[in-house]
Amino acid sequence: MALNVSTESSGDVVKITLDGELDASVSGVFREAVEKAAVQKPKRLVMFMDKLAFMASAGLRILIFAKQKMGADVQIYVVGAQGPVLKTLQMSGFDRAVYLKDAYTD
Amino acid sequence: MKKLVLPGKLESLSGIRRCAEEAASAAGLDSGRTYDLCLAIDEIATNIIVHGYEETMRSGDIGIRAEVTEGELRLILEDTSPPFDPRTLAPPKEYLDKPLEDRPIGGLGVYLALQSVDGFEYRQKGTTNCSVFTMKLGK
Repeated sequence: MALNVSTESSGDVVKITLDGELDASVSGVFREAVEKAAVQKPKRLVMFMDKLAFMASAGLRILIFAKQKMGADVQIYVVGAQGPVLKTLQMSGFDRAVYLKDAYTD
Repeated sequence: MKKLVLPGKLESLSGIRRCAEEAASAAGLDSGRTYDLCLAIDEIATNIIVHGYEETMRSGDIGIRAEVTEGELRLILEDTSPPFDPRTLAPPKEYLDKPLEDRPIGGLGVYLALQSVDGFEYRQKGTTNCSVFTMKLGK
């Protein structure tokens, strides 16, 4: 299963939706989306992970990259992460470093 | 399960996970523990491919095979990259409490791998590295 990444932006919010399996072989696509988002200097980066079936640490590294690229003040939201993907985020302390939400409304 | 041999390339990761899934399913692991095993295998295989093969300009394969013995499923990854015991890389607990902007990029994969399985061993057999992942059955 490949990874599909789609990006949508409005105002100072950028939304990235991940669909598929995120491992080191495809994480470059996610990284590129974050790099493009960073150019817009958003105040909030919202990542929808409800369709993410697998996430390795390669995905976590992109979250760290996003924060370091966009600055400590950018708010990072992770929305809809479920089951083992959510467990991975929690095991690695990301539940204390990003806003983990079940759903997101503007 | 027969031994599967794939090129030591990142493109092989999904095939390695599918192989681990099949072995876990045949051994009766539930979906959560199957995912955990796949995550652990994926992380260690990624380290082998990136640090063992790509960064040392070597090419080689990764073999994967399964054994079921005495209430345990054991998956064995074999490679011929330079010897390295991934257990020496696990980050300290304090790392996980740092804000993202202060974390080094990397170092999480081995931690996740070791946390996700019931047992992990590394050993050398001649020029072959063996990474052995153990999951207890009926847990």
